[in-house]
Amino acid sequence: MLQEIFSLLFGPNPELREIIGVTLRMSFFSTLISALLGLPLGVLLGGNEFRGRSWITRVVNTLMGLPPVVAGLIVFLLLSRSGPLGSLRLLYSVQAMVIAQVLLITPIITGLTANLVSLRAASIRETCAGIGLNAYQRLWYTVLECRVPFISTILAGFGRAIAEVGAVQMVGGNIQYKTRVMTTAIMMQTNMGHFEFAIALGGVLLLLSFLINSAVHYIQELDSRA
Amino acid sequence: MLELNAVEVRFKDRTTLQIPHLRFEEGHTYGIIGENGSGKTTLLRLLAGTLAPTSGQVLSSVSRDNLAYLPQSPYSFSFSVLRNVSMGLPRSAERKTRATEALAKVGLSELAGARGDRLSGGEAQRMGLARVIALPRRCLILDEPTSATDIRGMDRIETVLREYARETGCLLIFSTHAPAQALRLAEEVIFLEKSQLVEMGSASQLLRHPQDERTRSFLKHWQLGGVGGTEPVGEAR
Repeated sequence: MLQEIFSLLFGPNPELREIIGVTLRMSFFSTLISALLGLPLGVLLGGNEFRGRSWITRVVNTLMGLPPVVAGLIVFLLLSRSGPLGSLRLLYSVQAMVIAQVLLITPIITGLTANLVSLRAASIRETCAGIGLNAYQRLWYTVLECRVPFISTILAGFGRAIAEVGAVQMVGGNIQYKTRVMTTAIMMQTNMGHFEFAIALGGVLLLLSFLINSAVHYIQELDSRA
Repeated sequence: MLELNAVEVRFKDRTTLQIPHLRFEEGHTYGIIGENGSGKTTLLRLLAGTLAPTSGQVLSSVSRDNLAYLPQSPYSFSFSVLRNVSMGLPRSAERKTRATEALAKVGLSELAGARGDRLSGGEAQRMGLARVIALPRRCLILDEPTSATDIRGMDRIETVLREYARETGCLLIFSTHAPAQALRLAEEVIFLEKSQLVEMGSASQLLRHPQDERTRSFLKHWQLGGVGGTEPVGEAR
């Protein structure tokens, strides 16, 4: 299998490299946008007491388990020609796939961040208030204290993005050299009986997941050794 | 001066503190005693301004910058002990010196470069104390400052508090489970039970000759005599 992976990766056929490129591009941008939205929301949700917090937490927790096909359906309806955003002509593009992924990953990053922050927030708030630090300083120290778990959270989001299939299939359309990503390609190749290609893709996907987990582990190790 | 007027704190349906009137004068040391759940922490948090009363008034003549509060389990940040102590200090050339001096007072100089979150419970408590005494303040509020320390650590903290109170002339308020500690450190003692203020008076009067039956019942479990260093800080000032 390794030989097959190597020949597909470095052989004359550019398809696999193209698929990996689209997958990484889509996963990177969807994770980046989700992190930019989810981290501040999670910090606000986990670090503050306000009316409606419990209700918002329940909504976020529900959305953490949003089925990918439902996210795909929502984005599909929004971006289809007759939908409210149809004029943007984004359906069956990487941008549409990124939007669907953001819908799926943002609640995950928000929920995990809120959970991380809420575990420390009360104690940090009281300690900081005790020495007269203002709300911004307290927020800064909370974020600083959660920096390593935040990286793990972002990488968990990336892991979800790279492994997702339902939503990207619906809004991306699995178009060769355009919106085909590893997961949709694996599905298609399996349906066509091209198991070697599917297994090779699966191997690359596993390798990427391993590299992401190794990165998380390495960062945590660095922090615990410091 | 800190003063409570007709203060009540409720969490959901439960009253966690109810005090008709209580006044703390500057330059004095107050010890708050009582069992677990008697309302000590709630009272200290009200005084420190980290908790708002459900009803009533908390009056203070001390500005927020001049008041420091040490929670029972202060957060130990994952950066260095020195940075943990200096985080509340204004940015100036003296910042590091002040933090280093505060660490020396609590006996943690050799751990200045260690990570704050790697300290033992007692060390973390001393680091928290260093954080609040690094600046001279008009009011210091401490929630069971020796609850995690061994006898040597407790002795050191009591010494540090006596010196700090003497040097700054601050209003010092602390809670403790140990009436003997209240006798050693405080001029005035307040006894709380079941969220109510039961009795308040001079340390020796209240602890040796309590007027209220509930205070007597609480104190009968404690051996006040024979515990060394019983001179209240006020007399030592």
